[in-house]
Amino acid sequence: MLGGRYSVSGRSQKYTEAPIKVLLAKPAIDGHDRGIFVLAKAFRDAGMDVIYAGLLPTPEEVVDTAINEDVDVIALSLLNGAHMTAFRNVMEILKKRGVQDIAVVGGGIIPDEDKPALEKMGITGNFGPGTPLNVIIDHIKTRAREIRKMRENEY
Amino acid sequence: MDNFWDIKAKEIMQSFSEDKNYEKWKEAVLNPWNKKTGYKDKTRENSSSMPVKELYTAGDLPRDAAERIGYPGEYPFTRGIYPNMYRGRNWTMRMFSGFGTPDDTNKRLKYLIENGETGLSIAFDMPTLYGYDCDSKRAEGEVGKCGVNVSSLHDMERIFDGIDLSKVSTSMTINAPAAILTAMYFVLAEKKGIPLEKISGTVQADILKEYIAQKEWMYPPEAHLRLIRDMLVYSTEHVPKWNYISVSGYHIREAGSSAVQELAFTLADGFYYIEMGINAGLDVDDFAPRTSFFFNSSINFFEEIAKFRAARRIWATVLKEKYNAKNPKSMALKFHTQTSGYTLTWQQPLNNIVRTTIEAMAAVLGGTQSLHTNSYDEAWALPTDDAVKVALRTQQILAEETGITDVIDPLGGSYYLERLTCEMEIEAYKYFSEIEKMGGILNAVKSGYLQKEIADTSYKKQLKIEREEDIIVGVNKYVDRDEKPINTLKITDVAEKGQISSLENVKKNRDESKVSRSLEELHKAMEDDRVNLMPYIMECVRNYCTLEEISNVGREIFGEWKEPKIY
Amino acid sequence: MNTDILAQGILHGDYRAIARSISLIENSGYEVRKAIIKRIYGHGDAKVVGITGPPGVGKSTAIGNLAPLLAAHGKVAVLAIDPASPFSGGAILGNRIRMQSALSKQGIYMRSTSNRLYNGGLSEYTWDIVKVLEAAGNDYIILETVGSGQADIDVMDIADVTCVFLAPGLGDEIQAIKSGIMEIGDIFVVNKIDREGSYLAIKDIRESLSMSNKLETPVIGVNSLTGDHYGELVQSILKMNARNPREKYYKKLKMVVMEAIYDEYSNYVDSIEFGDNPLKEDPYTMAEEILGKQVARPEKLKDRER
Repeated sequence: MLGGRYSVSGRSQKYTEAPIKVLLAKPAIDGHDRGIFVLAKAFRDAGMDVIYAGLLPTPEEVVDTAINEDVDVIALSLLNGAHMTAFRNVMEILKKRGVQDIAVVGGGIIPDEDKPALEKMGITGNFGPGTPLNVIIDHIKTRAREIRKMRENEY
Repeated sequence: MDNFWDIKAKEIMQSFSEDKNYEKWKEAVLNPWNKKTGYKDKTRENSSSMPVKELYTAGDLPRDAAERIGYPGEYPFTRGIYPNMYRGRNWTMRMFSGFGTPDDTNKRLKYLIENGETGLSIAFDMPTLYGYDCDSKRAEGEVGKCGVNVSSLHDMERIFDGIDLSKVSTSMTINAPAAILTAMYFVLAEKKGIPLEKISGTVQADILKEYIAQKEWMYPPEAHLRLIRDMLVYSTEHVPKWNYISVSGYHIREAGSSAVQELAFTLADGFYYIEMGINAGLDVDDFAPRTSFFFNSSINFFEEIAKFRAARRIWATVLKEKYNAKNPKSMALKFHTQTSGYTLTWQQPLNNIVRTTIEAMAAVLGGTQSLHTNSYDEAWALPTDDAVKVALRTQQILAEETGITDVIDPLGGSYYLERLTCEMEIEAYKYFSEIEKMGGILNAVKSGYLQKEIADTSYKKQLKIEREEDIIVGVNKYVDRDEKPINTLKITDVAEKGQISSLENVKKNRDESKVSRSLEELHKAMEDDRVNLMPYIMECVRNYCTLEEISNVGREIFGEWKEPKIY
Repeated sequence: MNTDILAQGILHGDYRAIARSISLIENSGYEVRKAIIKRIYGHGDAKVVGITGPPGVGKSTAIGNLAPLLAAHGKVAVLAIDPASPFSGGAILGNRIRMQSALSKQGIYMRSTSNRLYNGGLSEYTWDIVKVLEAAGNDYIILETVGSGQADIDVMDIADVTCVFLAPGLGDEIQAIKSGIMEIGDIFVVNKIDREGSYLAIKDIRESLSMSNKLETPVIGVNSLTGDHYGELVQSILKMNARNPREKYYKKLKMVVMEAIYDEYSNYVDSIEFGDNPLKEDPYTMAEEILGKQVARPEKLKDRER
């Protein structure tokens, strides 16, 4: 019994090193979910815990889920051209709830000229089509590490 | 025990024989050559994970090849559904278009007609596709972005302003609210004084593939299927030139399926709609001829051509043998093709013209009835006028310069292509059998089985690209260090504001008592499954009820739907 | 890390404090876990409702129906467990999809958790997470097990009421009877009763219950699309008595002790420096040798008690 159950002992686990938790979300009416499934599987295969909350969540639902699940990173994706409105809505709700310890990463069909504005809102990455999965995964890991460090000093 | 599908698959498998000369040639010529040149052969496969040999020979043809291949315009339609194919008439060049306000789209349609386009095809924006008005909170930032916004009949009137509905055939890519948009088109014809028998066109209305791939729905599957049944029955009785459905594999492929999965899942959907018509009490030959299909043409040239030919042969066989169709028109699978959006790259966008050309050529050699060619800038945004023109010109060059239209099914008889066509048929029959064992396509969709198959294929494909086992020029090989941005179409929020104020006007000028009365009547009709809803929806549309108001009646009665978990 | 503030947050039902505490319990090792549990232990009194059954049976949709109905009788929280990938240890947690809208309408707290490859249908720290949710003032905690096809028997160590979900037509009934799931159910629910074969499924279940002398066990048919018969299910859940808290306590106590022993011995074995020929002794003899050096502790404890 022991071998299977306690093959990895959680006794001396460190918060900063435990698996990253990511919320993947498309915060608008956009049914293109091929990419989001590819990312979900790739993140899982990179050892992360991935929350996928399904299609058509409102920005409020995205933030609620992120808080309740205590994710490290929210990864937003839209392919429908509505990213400027929808991503901003998510950021504003996070701000309104006083959440500063969740990283927000973006992706989708995002024209270059929109990227500075997104960065300014605090959304990093903003990956376009054809970005290698490794690049995205590395970025998420970096942001999550920052968040975990920041959180260690909270509470 | 073997079911119908297992038997069909076995029949094809048993028609294959061995080619002893091929084995001899391999031993005597090929293997020594490879050894001498130091070439190490390894298995190669197509997008459907089917291994392909280095050479196909006469021995790869089925023993009854002549019958299986047949002649054009005749059962089993492998070589095309018309006797003279493109010698008689070129395919319809149908460019999918729509963006911004109805006025923007009206301008684009007229531009395309002037440039030689022969059929209209309307793309709607996300709010319209999900049954929300432009002033809905959920529509914020999305109005006119991915297509044209239609919130009421008034918008439809603007899209077709100055276009004679009796002279064009119109295709509308709309699914969840298909019945409402169809009603709008019918009422528009009515208001223009054109009898419904005179209008022609297609509405996509294929809700099964929405649950499988495109994920645009409003209600649970059963509710949408009832609406499709009502459109089918209504158009059979009143609009004889209206294709009530376009069974679509395009989105299944874009969602990440293989060619075989696209083929199998789309035809399985098609069979379901045929059974639905039969269950509604119609004779199969009364409506099957107006069932049309919509396929993707991707980059693996021969695989795509084989897919189109296999689709025709399977459809003909099944309609005849399983559904007892008598009319050859019921057995002839007609289809529209769009080149693959997935293969377009954001990097080095001009390369996309080449990809689209090859894909378009596969569609033509596969015998398509109409074709949309993607524009090279579509990985970036909706296409500019200039990019659309190149895409349309691509079709015109294929049709008028290359000579590939001079001969009917010019690739017919190719050892490789014929063998591949047979093998794709077998794989499709295997999927049909699998689906039947799961309790039919509706159960397979609701349980997420097909969605999972697609997601798995798509992830495997992505990993192959990451490992550089699959090459994409400009993306994982021959990469340019500095990509320069190209000119793209910008859709501003002006469209959104314009639509909202236009809708406000519509609401101000309509007769509210008529609005609420027609919505109430629709509500009552919806509660009784036996009632055909089309006349009720048309009455709502006539009274300028909005898209969302009409959709909401169904939301109240049928509720919403959430996708199954697929991992 | 200030666990005092966190514990205060939990006791006040603050979602952010609850959420963070659960993460720390899952991720931060023994000391932090202990610190949190110590501060909230004894607070709250919840009935834990386990939902188990094979994959595809509609557990998440069922919770979307059940949770709002239970909310009429008290505060509800949901904890759903998904399996981790045996290759990477990562997991896709997708149970939200089918309950999200029903839960968010009522502001019900829902948490998804990976089993982190722990067998038995729960995660290693499910007990601790349930304690947090209990201390946060929830009256009902709905616990969805992994449901990977094997019997998720651990749920009976934590749940007061275990509902086993089955659906007709998938051969589930037979599988369930074989896999031992019949033994753990306090209530049996046949989902999708609109489907062909549901009557037979209910009959099969009743028969096999009568064979194991569990005739009193309710068997309820429900339809998650229409919500039919969920009222009956809620009534049955409300009627069931809570499980003996002592049993649950002993199970957890044993786990904590085992965790400590495992950790210690595992570290010890890793630290042994074997000579030139480490494999000459068979593992049984070797183990007895190690235990002989170390294992006297429980005896000492007994001495202390005396």
